[in-house]
Amino acid sequence: MNIIKKLGVFFTSLFLMLSISVASSFAEKTILFSIKGPGSGNPFWASVEKGAAEEAKKLGVKLIMIAPPQEGDVQAQVNQLEDQIAKGVDAIALAPSDPNALAPIVDDAIKNGIPVVFVDTKGSNEGVTFIGTNNENGAELAAKFICEKTPKGSDVAILTGIESQSTALLRRDGAAKGLKGCGLNIVATQTAEWDTAKARSVTEAILAKNPNIKAIFGSNDNMALGAIQALKDAGMKDITVVGFDATPDAANSILAGEMTATVAQFSYNMGAYGVKYALELANGKKIDPNIDTGTQLVTKENAKDFK
Amino acid sequence: MEIKEINKESLFLKSIPYFEKYGILIVLIIMIVGLHFLQPEVFLSWRNITNIFKQVSWQSMLALGVFIVIVTAGIDLSVGSIMMLSLMVLAITAKSGAEWYIVVLIPLILGMLCGMFNGLGIVFLRMPHPFIMTLGTLYIFRGAGNLISGGSPISGFTDEVRFIGNGRIDLTWLGLDETQYLPVSVILIASVFFSMWLFLNHSRTGKWIYAIGGNPNAARAAGINVDKILVIVYSLCGLLSGFGALILAGRADSGYPNAGLNAELDAIAACIIGGASFFGGRGTVLGVFAGVMIMGILRNGLNLMDVSAFWQQVFIGAIIVIAVYIDVLRKDLGTRK
Repeated sequence: MNIIKKLGVFFTSLFLMLSISVASSFAEKTILFSIKGPGSGNPFWASVEKGAAEEAKKLGVKLIMIAPPQEGDVQAQVNQLEDQIAKGVDAIALAPSDPNALAPIVDDAIKNGIPVVFVDTKGSNEGVTFIGTNNENGAELAAKFICEKTPKGSDVAILTGIESQSTALLRRDGAAKGLKGCGLNIVATQTAEWDTAKARSVTEAILAKNPNIKAIFGSNDNMALGAIQALKDAGMKDITVVGFDATPDAANSILAGEMTATVAQFSYNMGAYGVKYALELANGKKIDPNIDTGTQLVTKENAKDFK
Repeated sequence: MEIKEINKESLFLKSIPYFEKYGILIVLIIMIVGLHFLQPEVFLSWRNITNIFKQVSWQSMLALGVFIVIVTAGIDLSVGSIMMLSLMVLAITAKSGAEWYIVVLIPLILGMLCGMFNGLGIVFLRMPHPFIMTLGTLYIFRGAGNLISGGSPISGFTDEVRFIGNGRIDLTWLGLDETQYLPVSVILIASVFFSMWLFLNHSRTGKWIYAIGGNPNAARAAGINVDKILVIVYSLCGLLSGFGALILAGRADSGYPNAGLNAELDAIAACIIGGASFFGGRGTVLGVFAGVMIMGILRNGLNLMDVSAFWQQVFIGAIIVIAVYIDVLRKDLGTRK
């Protein structure tokens, strides 16, 4: 019976540990905020988390912040949402890992009287408000900056994100439009799935094939930083590298003279607006179908503010 | 006095085989009771229980597939990729406007063919270990799925196609609430697990599968066509992955490129927790079911308690190690006296 005792001890300790993290809930409104990946893995999400937490504190609502263990784990996000909806929340702010795969659960929530807003990535459900960056405009902003920095007809490359996500597609299209529009020659458009290490290998391959490249647009900063690693390795200098998201790492890289520029999404705003507008819906108010959180170019001049 | 003690001991000894057989179910029950006390209003609610079954539905198919392979002392790392490829082909077929019964059959047939490819590869290419063949096809099948779909999701299926993964059986005639429905996937899990139990325990081929895992050379000497059985086993595993794809199609209403990523590891973990041995010949269908449920309930419970997903990874890992340690203790218990 030794084993049963051991088992008992194990499970009691397991559940004791867990129960510590159980927060108590009162009559206040509960907002569920589901993001694509953990804040510790990506400063962008860390900033969304911060914005959401501070806004929730200001408005006096209970915030449940959930994220799958790694970005792109669609089923984990679906399961987390289902479990939380079963528990009962008043409104949901959701950054969908995969808009189509998450569409049924969003429909289900709305049917159960739980209002939903999309944050960062627009979902495929009709009539749900989208709070986020106009990604196409942002990428075009980056492309125009590249045009100013590089002579007409130069070779340029685009690193794209996970292409099942509309954010990745919009940034790709915006950048392509801007770069083509000013007469640059796009020699490669390849996905590095938002990942620094993958971006490095992809860029290495692109450089091997196109040694005359003058500029690279990374659809997020992680990828732009990966591209810079590859450029350094190849001993290529004076290449314009523009990222997207304006993470602290990117800001430091810009200040160190490695990355040329990045596009700031106001990710803090996404967290804050997500909570704010989800609460308005929970209180029965009406909100606009599109809420822009804005973009701006970050270069050496203003990079300090994003560190 | 002495007689009493002997009786006590023999009772203890008598209970060992039951403990050996149903020990993992006791763990499952302890977890359920524990979570009920931690989340009294939510955990045992109808909605949450159906959620758990829906969430483990496709994983349970992969776990069962991997289980029969593990019984032969093999391994199949490609189940997640088979599921993804089948799902993508299902999505493309659905978009081309094919009849629903064709769309439903496609992933099953394709899954089985992929599994057969694994089996034939292992047998005819004389791979030193199934690990290598299926590691190769893990990449091949996922790559193929991305190639045919262009790496982008394909969504929107008809209700018939989604029935298995998303269908609801109305129970209002039992006097239950409208929200208290029975997911079709529960029926599917039950019937697939039951059929597999019948097949493994009450058919000749099923007994051969255990025999091969126990000792392949002895099985060969006994006149069992080991190669043929292996191809059947891997094809079955592929077929079950195809079932997984069909369920997932209903659940997600979308064929998406990240489907089933790392799912093979979850499937293997469920088998190990359920008492299957990597050396083959050991393990039960009931054990796999318990393994799947333990992982599903653990994730669900931790989600309900807002525990970070990182902790969930730690707990799942700990459960694997502890489950196998319990297994080791269990064997000590059986051989000590």
